[in-house]
Amino acid sequence: MNVVVCVKQIPDPSVPGQLEADHTLDRSAKPILDESDSFGVEMALQLVDAAGGGEVTLISLAPNGEVSGLRTALAMGAAKAVLASDDAFAGTDALGTAKVLAKCIERVGDADLVLAATESSDGYTGTVPVQVAELLGWPALTFAKKVDIADGVVTIQRQTEAGYDVVQSSLPAVVSVTAGVVEPRYPSFKGIMAAKSKPVDNVTAADLGLDGQVGWAGARQSIVKVEQAPARLAGEKFEDDGTAAEKIVAFLEDLKVI
Amino acid sequence: MFEWSDEHQMIRTAVREFVDKEVRPHREALEHGDMPPYELLRKLYSSFGMDQMAASSFDRRIAKEEAGETGRPTADADGEGDAGGGGMTLLPIIELCKCSPGMVTAMGVSVGLTSAAIMNKGTIAQKKRWARDLLTLDKIGAWAITEPNSGSDAFGSMQAVARIDGDEFVLNGSKTFITNGPFADTIVFICKLDEGNPPAERRVVQFVLDKGMTGLEQSKPLRKMGMHSSPTGMLFLDDVRVGTDRLLGESLDAYAAKAGREASKATFTIERTGVAAMALGIIERCLELSVPYAKSRIQFGQPIGNYQLIQLKLAKMEVARLNVEGLVFRTLEMAAAGKGMGLAQASASKLYAAQAAMEVALEAVQIFGGNGYMAEYEVEQLARDAKVLQIYAGTDEIQITHIARALLA
Repeated sequence: MNVVVCVKQIPDPSVPGQLEADHTLDRSAKPILDESDSFGVEMALQLVDAAGGGEVTLISLAPNGEVSGLRTALAMGAAKAVLASDDAFAGTDALGTAKVLAKCIERVGDADLVLAATESSDGYTGTVPVQVAELLGWPALTFAKKVDIADGVVTIQRQTEAGYDVVQSSLPAVVSVTAGVVEPRYPSFKGIMAAKSKPVDNVTAADLGLDGQVGWAGARQSIVKVEQAPARLAGEKFEDDGTAAEKIVAFLEDLKVI
Repeated sequence: MFEWSDEHQMIRTAVREFVDKEVRPHREALEHGDMPPYELLRKLYSSFGMDQMAASSFDRRIAKEEAGETGRPTADADGEGDAGGGGMTLLPIIELCKCSPGMVTAMGVSVGLTSAAIMNKGTIAQKKRWARDLLTLDKIGAWAITEPNSGSDAFGSMQAVARIDGDEFVLNGSKTFITNGPFADTIVFICKLDEGNPPAERRVVQFVLDKGMTGLEQSKPLRKMGMHSSPTGMLFLDDVRVGTDRLLGESLDAYAAKAGREASKATFTIERTGVAAMALGIIERCLELSVPYAKSRIQFGQPIGNYQLIQLKLAKMEVARLNVEGLVFRTLEMAAAGKGMGLAQASASKLYAAQAAMEVALEAVQIFGGNGYMAEYEVEQLARDAKVLQIYAGTDEIQITHIARALLA
């Protein structure tokens, strides 16, 4: 059982983000593994363990040959990584990202399952996993809060507002997992020491046969303008004239929370 | 070395996350002494594979000893062992000290002091019987040397005693301020051998005791000024009978007139180098808390960080941090080069680091003012905890004598 996990290396969310002149995120600082991807990595490791064989491969699109986020996932136990990093990728939109990831998955070759987070914690488009599935021609199963594999069939519990749906498909398939699907392990010290020597396959747009289809040139969406989120409006104030309790109840009923 | 390597930084990030998620929520319970630290320490060990690393390192060392070789085991092919250097040991110490320094004391005494005493002096059979479980934290250890009337003058005024009775030893005495004493499964008991000779001429010998042995009583934790997450207690031995199998080395020949004292001194060196890392954790935490506070606390219409008296405190804290970090890096570099710190150098390092941690923590309380005196703001705990660094593992005064003795020898 070989599982590929799409992981994103993002600017540290605990540091205030900066935008470049072209409205893209400043990615010059050392990135970290997107926390939402750590769930997919853990899920993949557990599935491979349960299957009794195979390995976990990471794929990532990142500028400047960045590997620090990948190292974290390799330290957790992934066997190897494919890193797509090339100046030609600058400006790549969500669909372009999906093209890169789909080509990386083809390059890995023997994937039974692809896992991804439902969305990244810096871009939040939430579209990439299904785009990847479409490009590969594989089924997409989304918002999984539980994943089981048996007899070449993947079964997930898809989170819904009311509860969950049970969804099945044949393999190979692309599954997006929610935060909390499993509890990510801490990388062991031994894993951390071993991570540096695990193979990272560095690929360019040309290696993937994507020249001209990615980057600014291939992007079908562009960021036209960035504005501050509107300041929160001041709340409504009631002086208590003996009817405050009723007013609060009416307000909460309006929100349908009681 | 002037900064942590990439691997070290990954270790630090991971341990920091563990401390924030697994330890910090229990800080209240740990600090009020209601929660022994051992389950959290075991979780730390298993989360990072420290237990497995300790076990396989022990097994390799024993395999070498059984093959008649000496020396430390080398790292194995997959990078396990010493490849991460002392950073794997020191970074968890530093990060734990940012929350509950007492946990480090509890851990260090068990996996450091107690197991080291057995590994230094024990036979292979004794190492297998007791040291492996201590190194993995499966068992908790205590190293019992201090007595009510014998502190800094540990050997001179030691009253605990072993008498030979046939092929057995009969042990008597009281020990106090024993870290992990209340809960220890395995106790290294240091005493004098009464062969009918005057106390000053008696040999210092070491025995290994197990919890629950007839005649051994382990007290409840003592209430202390700080370090509440490290249970400290008394031990009372009343005619505890042991065979030679519990005498470290399994033969009195292993204890020449002064040898027992030398073995204990080797243990002192290990103990002292760990204190610099503890001090660094406390100092780093004080800065982490004090700098944002100085920027955000407004008095007389401006942040207190604008005032030079506060700036002086922060600057001195940073100087202390740089110096103690330098000492920690030196320890790591020396270990990587296969050189141990001598007792005098370890003493100098410990003396400076302990004093620096105490000063920094008190100044952090001062920067926080009234808030700093309140438990809620954390710095008062660090100040109470830091004080013991100047007392245990050899008081400041004892460190000074060791440094001076080496200089004047």
